[in-house]
Amino acid sequence: MQLAEVELDRITGDIFAAILGLTLDGHRASDTFPPDERVVTGVVQITGDFEGAVSVQLGEHLALRAAQLMFALEADELTDEEVTDTVGELANMTGGNIKSALAGSSALSLPSVTAGRDYRVSLPGTVIKDRIGLDCDGDLVVVALMQRDVTL
Amino acid sequence: MKILVVDDSKAMRAIVKRALSTLDRVAGATIVEAVDGKEAFATAQAEQPDLIISDWNMPEMTGIELLQALNEAGTCPSFGFVTSESTPEMHELARSNGARFLVSKPFTPEALDDALASAV
Repeated sequence: MQLAEVELDRITGDIFAAILGLTLDGHRASDTFPPDERVVTGVVQITGDFEGAVSVQLGEHLALRAAQLMFALEADELTDEEVTDTVGELANMTGGNIKSALAGSSALSLPSVTAGRDYRVSLPGTVIKDRIGLDCDGDLVVVALMQRDVTL
Repeated sequence: MKILVVDDSKAMRAIVKRALSTLDRVAGATIVEAVDGKEAFATAQAEQPDLIISDWNMPEMTGIELLQALNEAGTCPSFGFVTSESTPEMHELARSNGARFLVSKPFTPEALDDALASAV
């Protein structure tokens, strides 16, 4: 499966610009969140000719800001469900666009979302094919593409 | 005009509704919502919308299954997809089942307006 044409930064940037009106300003030196920062992660799995997953991670500050923009609400009006829904939809759009860029026929799962501090996202049996950290007005966005390890 | 917006994501339903509210083409339309294809099928029977804008990938019943169910029931209004996935196979499957458009997420209100030109 050819992954060279999948541009995580362009795909993610297009989604943030079109849906949220936010600009992602290139790669950050670090793609790791501070251990004390609460991070919201959306994951979608891809099955078929390509087997893997896509994760999108936002710190809580940016997750709240994204939900505010999605729902046109103030931060104190948002529910946890709306923040979860927002990050899940960002992962769904990112995964869907990546899936569309891959050759072959694959299916996309519904998104799952988790939140917490100082954790790592790993899917057993997969390896990270690409992982980028992008800057959004000082907040970090981490996007990763994982692929099933066929050598296992 | 009545438009049924179907998406399991509340956030995306909000985005679609906001985009629709900016379009002269559907000015004054009443918007009703459903969270999956199964609920949308029931809502479509009860509300008789003029247009359904649906996500593709949803729990309970997918968007294409909804379109096929409405066709089988003989009650399908104008129908289009707004979805994060967009492959030639999906376009063909949508078209062959009578969908008027398939707009890829992320989308702009202008892209949605262009798509609606063929549907309303």
